[in-house]
Amino acid sequence: MKYMILTYASQQDYDAMSGKPTDRPAWSNEDFAAMGEFMTELNRDLDESGALVETRALAAPAHTRRVTSPHGQAVVTDGPYAETQEVLAGYWIVECGSFDEATRIAARLAGCPGPPDAAARAVADVRPLVEGRAELAM
Amino acid sequence: MVEDTRGENTSDTGELWRREAPRVLGALVRRYGHLDLAEDAVQEALLAAATQWPLDGVPDNPRAWLITVAARRLTDLLRADQARRRREDTVTRWVLPADWLSPGADRSAADTDDTLVLLFLCCHPALSPPAQIALTLRAVGGLTTKEIARAFLVPEPTMTRRITRAKQAIRASGAPFAMPRPDERAVRLAAVLHVLYLVFNEGYASTTGPDLYRADLSTEAIRLTRQLQRQLPVDRPGDGQGDTVGHGELAGLLALMLLTEARRPARAGPGGELIPMAEQDRTLWDIDQISEGVELITRTLPRGPVGPYQLQAAIAALHDEAPTAQATDWPQITALYELLLHHGDNPVVRLNHAVALAMAEGPHAGLARLATLDADARIAGDHRLHAVRAHLLEATGDHHGAATAYLAAAARTTSLQHQRYLHAQAARLTHPHPQIPNATPARDPE
Repeated sequence: MKYMILTYASQQDYDAMSGKPTDRPAWSNEDFAAMGEFMTELNRDLDESGALVETRALAAPAHTRRVTSPHGQAVVTDGPYAETQEVLAGYWIVECGSFDEATRIAARLAGCPGPPDAAARAVADVRPLVEGRAELAM
Repeated sequence: MVEDTRGENTSDTGELWRREAPRVLGALVRRYGHLDLAEDAVQEALLAAATQWPLDGVPDNPRAWLITVAARRLTDLLRADQARRRREDTVTRWVLPADWLSPGADRSAADTDDTLVLLFLCCHPALSPPAQIALTLRAVGGLTTKEIARAFLVPEPTMTRRITRAKQAIRASGAPFAMPRPDERAVRLAAVLHVLYLVFNEGYASTTGPDLYRADLSTEAIRLTRQLQRQLPVDRPGDGQGDTVGHGELAGLLALMLLTEARRPARAGPGGELIPMAEQDRTLWDIDQISEGVELITRTLPRGPVGPYQLQAAIAALHDEAPTAQATDWPQITALYELLLHHGDNPVVRLNHAVALAMAEGPHAGLARLATLDADARIAGDHRLHAVRAHLLEATGDHHGAATAYLAAAARTTSLQHQRYLHAQAARLTHPHPQIPNATPARDPE
């Protein structure tokens, strides 16, 4: 079974991570390096255990195009998010035996180092992937 | 927004920037869009490099460094832009052009050089030719706004505005970062060639003194044309004839530029006065450029449909290969001008045709041909028509008529150098001195 683990961040969080102080304290070089090491190790581990299908981080929310079709015509909105809005920032797709197993993987993210402020607000959602159309109709 | 605070680049770092800037810009626009802001972001990355590299050394991969720094700047600029729009309640919305919804296979940018895509984008039909030229030189040529402003003899703020407006027009057009569709490729390539041709001519129009910077434009046009020739994908079967003509014309344009540029060293006297081709010291002509141009046009002509650039290159080749003006193959040149006239009724071409005809068949034939131009409002008031008439009348022995025509020409040119030349000719005929035989109806300087 496949699950997606999703993490969220606002443009301000991206700023803080890049070392720029906003309303939130900026990450230090040590914070940022420690996070990198943690993620590398986690991903290597997931890969070696065969659980990892794919993992990606997303570019800053400012680089977003939203496509809508209000009158049957495709309309693009550049940068639709407010600075403080939390949006998808990264994801893992994992293949594992159960929802609980996927949840255990997501829980490991709690060990991710970072400034206390960021760690306190960190969220990871776990959601089962639909394997076929029939499942959607359930 | 930062505009060219990096100033003059004389070091090899400057050369590196010229080469890297369009590639960094291409990479950024391909990935994130926003040509307008990305362009500013690249300028700022170059600025950062200018201050950091001399201290920290040039990074191992300068392009990757520039892309990283520019991408970071783009994010900042984008956010400032988005925040401002949000305040003004003018969130950027644009209707997706209908052709974005058609299958993408035809217009993939994936296998195309970024700078080539940029070149087509800068020559987008949504822009006026002056805007196309300015944006091309800045985004693809890597010239600073200051350099471009100086080359076009306009104040820097004027050029800044022109470039800004051009970028806004591209943004408004919703043009994707991709090569033109096959069905529009021929037209779009023609627009690119026209821009390169105009850039070259701007540079060739003057040669000396304070205008030296304009000469750089010719070099830049040749560099970009060469690059385009290297990068433009070879036709695939079924692309239609447009591309075949396009490739031939691209080669023709490059040959024309080389064959014209080859004569630059002989074009001006010590005082900066222009010397007509018939009187130029041909030993000063650049042999390497001539042989490259001749080789190129000789190889291209037999290949297929022959367009105006190829014809002009063929004419230039005949001039460049002739040991003297007299020994030039004028009948052949006359024939080529006749072919050129089939491509469009251009009064300057008709004027040159008349000159060639005079050289091939005598001044009376040329004068008869000139008479047909008097009714053409596009050139009837042009000093070149009167100057050519003056030369031909002089060759028939009509010194009075020639002097009158020289004066008429002088009255119609704004160039002091031209006026001095033409007045001297008129004076020579009105107050005869021991005369140097002037059998050659000298052409107006090219």
